[in-house]
Amino acid sequence: MRKLLAQPASGQRVSICLLAIALVLYPLVFSDAFYRDIGVTFLLAAISASAWNIVGGYAGQVSVGHSMFFGLGAYTPLLLYTLWGWPPLAGIPVGILLSIGLAIIIGLPTFRLSGHYFSMATIAVAELIRIFVGTWALVGGAIGLQGPALARGWWDLTFRGDLPYYYIFLAVLALVLAVTFVLEQRRFGYYLRAIKSSERAARSLGVPVRRTKLQALALSAAFAAMAGSLYGVKTGFIDPDSGFGILVSVQMVIFAALGGAGTLFGPLIGALILVPLQTAANTWFGGGGSGATFVIYGGIIVLIARFEPGGLFDLWRRLAPLLRRRAHAA
Amino acid sequence: MLLEARNVSKAFGDFRAVAGADIAVEQGEIVGLIGPNGAGKSTFFNCLAGDTLPTTGRILFDGVDVTRAPPEAHARAGIGRTFQVPTTFDDMSVLANVMVGAFLRRPHRNDAREHARRIVELTGLRADQPARSLGTPSRKRLEIARVLASGPRLLLLDESLAGLTPGELPEAIALVRRIHRMGVTIVIVEHIMEVIMTLTRRVLVFNQGRVIASGTPEQVVRDEAVIEAYLGRGARRPRE
Ligand SMILES: Nc1ncnc2c1ncn2[C@@H]1O[C@H](COP(=O)(O)OP(=O)(O)O)[C@@H](O)[C@H]1O
Ligand SMILES: [Mg+2]
Repeated sequence: MRKLLAQPASGQRVSICLLAIALVLYPLVFSDAFYRDIGVTFLLAAISASAWNIVGGYAGQVSVGHSMFFGLGAYTPLLLYTLWGWPPLAGIPVGILLSIGLAIIIGLPTFRLSGHYFSMATIAVAELIRIFVGTWALVGGAIGLQGPALARGWWDLTFRGDLPYYYIFLAVLALVLAVTFVLEQRRFGYYLRAIKSSERAARSLGVPVRRTKLQALALSAAFAAMAGSLYGVKTGFIDPDSGFGILVSVQMVIFAALGGAGTLFGPLIGALILVPLQTAANTWFGGGGSGATFVIYGGIIVLIARFEPGGLFDLWRRLAPLLRRRAHAA
Repeated sequence: MLLEARNVSKAFGDFRAVAGADIAVEQGEIVGLIGPNGAGKSTFFNCLAGDTLPTTGRILFDGVDVTRAPPEAHARAGIGRTFQVPTTFDDMSVLANVMVGAFLRRPHRNDAREHARRIVELTGLRADQPARSLGTPSRKRLEIARVLASGPRLLLLDESLAGLTPGELPEAIALVRRIHRMGVTIVIVEHIMEVIMTLTRRVLVFNQGRVIASGTPEQVVRDEAVIEAYLGRGARRPRE
């Protein structure tokens, strides 16, 4: 079984180990609430963007509405808690299943058409859901929903302080990356990249394109819902904008694209760069920070589109050998 | 009969790119398909491969009606094809490209990789080269390797040898021969008469969407209708 999985190159393995150690130690070294909050935000962004990456990066089916899965994942446990007092831990799988169902409903018709229809459909559906949820009293309308204020048990996932959340999020991030890594090595991963490159050629080689895209979307939606549910239980509160808002979707795209869409660690790297930057912008500009966020995102989109469609990961892959050669020469 | 297509047409609006074409190919043959540019050869291939739905006609593969089946079903049934304008997976290595084909009948990665390596070697490509860095003739060769790895019984080659220098031709011809000897039936579209003359014993001549002549290569190059199609009046259909 071990031999079935390709081992990453040794240099890469060392970087992965160092990164893992750094992420495990981070909240212990930076015990200040401010830094722990950045850490949790980073993990959440990395999970979301990595989830998006499966269908948006590897398969090249650019969803700009992944907030619908994130929001569904966030709302479902809080709604089941509000209505019937369900513990959030029990509500999370329900949200994930609902997201998979929604993914199939969206993928079935749009994956028959070209990729642009899928992108547009995802934006439209996510916005419709956001508007609809904002007017529906049962799910809290524009105000939103709240989770348990006091934990009745650990299954309420309501903890004091960020530390438990940090490690739960870290474990989920590890899960998402591990699943992505395994799939990347298998036929499924090859098929996704083939589909991204040329659907026509892929089909001519017997690749079941529509089914493969649907599976990728369902998996991606499941992980995005998981990210949303983590956000919901951690914040203990969810409203239409923070669950289904367009910014939630756009962030996933930008983080992944900046780091490198369709690479295992690209989304994580994107989040590693952008989350601290965003926090800094919020601190410097105060309430106007979210405006600054949009400006930064806009700038990043332009830069990626113009200069580095492969993202930073691709840039690094091309630059690293050159730098190494110079280091040797020196 | 391995492949039998009867009265196949494909219309784009009012214009019939393929207009009642027939073909019948026996297991083990290499059949040449020639004809002037715009005759409808590639469109005919697209119909045979399930890439476009023909407007009329019926296509049987090994006795099974595949007329309306999608391209992936054609591939599974054993109809492989290359594209006139190569469509390699440019973000992937040569080996990974070929593995995508190999996965069709070898779902496990290591089996697929091993098979793909053998095919890459057979076709004289370099496994770890990025597909992006290949020139057009090499891309066409990669397409052959890729589809060959998918284990086709019938291979439709659409100008796969175009763009090669005269010096490179013998090796490419030898490759097609080797594929044929592996038991693959071949239909080959080619403009270079040397290729057709060396490889095929039966040629179909396409013009304005239908077969206007057939026979040995020597026979068809002397055929009046063929000479007329290539050189005579009305040979070049205006392209609007
Ligand atoms: N998708 C299409 N839409 C409209 N016309 C097309 C399309 N594909 C091919 N044609 C036309 O059909 C004719 C036959 O083209 P093609 O099959 O490529 O010929 P050949 O391969 O013999 O050169 C050409 O006149 C071409 O312009
Ligand atoms: Mg052609």
